[in-house]
Amino acid sequence: MPDPAIHIAGLTKSYGDVQALRGVDISIAKGEFFGLLGPNGAGKTTIINILTGLVFKDNGSTSVFGRDTVTDYRFTRSKIGIAAQELSVDWFFPIEKLLYFQAGYYGIEPKNAMNNINDLLSRMGLENKRGARLRQLSGGMKRRFQLAKALVHDPDIIILDEPTAGVDVELRRDLWQYLRDVHSNGKTILLTTHYIEEAEMLCENVAIIDEGKILKEGSPKALTQELGKAGITVQLNHTPADLVQYLAGFTYTQEKNRLHFVVKDPDSAMPKIIHELSKSDVHIQNIATSSSSLEDVFLDITGKGINE
Amino acid sequence: MNWVGLWTLTKREVGRFFSVYRQTVLPGLISSALYILIFGFTLEQRISEIQGVSYTLFILPGLIMMNTLTNATSNTASSMLQMKLLQQLPDLLTAPLSGFEIALAYIVGGTVRGLVNGVLVLLLGVFLIDLPVTDPIGTLVFIFLVSWAFSSMGLVLGQLAESWDQLAMMQNFFLTPLSFLGGIFYSIHMLPDWAQSLSFINPVYYMINGIRYTILGISDSSVMFSFWMAVFLTLIFTATAILLMQSGRKIKQ
Repeated sequence: MPDPAIHIAGLTKSYGDVQALRGVDISIAKGEFFGLLGPNGAGKTTIINILTGLVFKDNGSTSVFGRDTVTDYRFTRSKIGIAAQELSVDWFFPIEKLLYFQAGYYGIEPKNAMNNINDLLSRMGLENKRGARLRQLSGGMKRRFQLAKALVHDPDIIILDEPTAGVDVELRRDLWQYLRDVHSNGKTILLTTHYIEEAEMLCENVAIIDEGKILKEGSPKALTQELGKAGITVQLNHTPADLVQYLAGFTYTQEKNRLHFVVKDPDSAMPKIIHELSKSDVHIQNIATSSSSLEDVFLDITGKGINE
Repeated sequence: MNWVGLWTLTKREVGRFFSVYRQTVLPGLISSALYILIFGFTLEQRISEIQGVSYTLFILPGLIMMNTLTNATSNTASSMLQMKLLQQLPDLLTAPLSGFEIALAYIVGGTVRGLVNGVLVLLLGVFLIDLPVTDPIGTLVFIFLVSWAFSSMGLVLGQLAESWDQLAMMQNFFLTPLSFLGGIFYSIHMLPDWAQSLSFINPVYYMINGIRYTILGISDSSVMFSFWMAVFLTLIFTATAILLMQSGRKIKQ
């Protein structure tokens, strides 16, 4: 079995009396789109900063493709491109020059970085701004530049720390599409977010983190199936007496001719319900499903909303 | 060793101060020219020669040294603090660069600025007042060593400082007095005994007298002692800067 792209085991970190991480275990496979979902202050950025060498860990281990991020930092850092939450400011150089510098820090000479930089500037819609300073860019352009900087050395793993924080809806959707494209090229992506929708739409697997601990991990669908409570509401023309025997295997409530089923997975439960109802002499007038979201799961696990 | 990374960061550091040369190169040149004009045309007529040379010639090696060391120090100190405060430092700290490579690139950047400023003031002296440079190689060696030593010290200050105020305090209360009390404007023989003794513990005193000897052939201290003091300071400050960068103090949590 190949080494995971990122492996974190028993990671702890305290800032003075504040325990930021309390034994975090995460494993991210190569090519996976993984989300760390948690409220502000949950420990997401601390995990990323330890992985990339900005923060010293207290205990535990962190590795990238099987190699330790502390003892083998040149290898592990060369595999990671990071778009930090905080936008950096550099007023000395134009953005194209900044990309060349960034490539250089990763050991790529200008002549070898040129194609990638031209491609990134074009894809991020910054081609006409290559001579501009960062302060001359709009907020959205700065975010896109941040992403270009993370990708300039063509890393295998891309870490995005709250990439859409403070970004308008249109740009957020553009960035999501771009991230999907990057992921489809085989890149491993670790995304931290406190936007449930973002994690739900993009990530194959998510870990829910709160107060420095991973509370649950799995695919958004599996988590909502396991922990969420979806419902199917069926409106019948009448309710014959024999209906009860056919529905014995379901959890449901009845209010006159309206039945409300509580299910884990509406997609698989609905055909079964219809099949059972069809054994009785009833006509189905209407069916509505209400599916559980990751937000419900988060609420269920932590007892609070993600933005509380 | 990440040679491309080291070279890139060095280029950035050198390019950074050249891109704002009006703040980093011209001021030292202008203030030195003013010193020469004021002393040359006014005060010199009222001040007798010191150790056989005119007063304007006497102070010029000190001005070169002061320009060199203040520019070398402020290049690394301000660049490091700026990168910390403007969130640029994570770009370096998350790249496959060692603490040694980062420190070295910064130090070289500051050294280049110190050299450029020192040499420009030297040339100003040569063109304006026919400064006789008796040992040009020795002069360049002193300018280089002092640039390197104080560039390293600036990096230490920049890494430890948390605000511009702190950095200014370190420079104004430490570096500037050391420079002025190092004998830029006087020979220590003009001081009372107790003040002469104090000068002996001021490292800048040896730097100024060392370069004064290589330019004018006069000095209050032994030139070899000054040279070895410059080498000693260079080694101590360089080692401190590298070890501090490797420790991550004040830049990593």
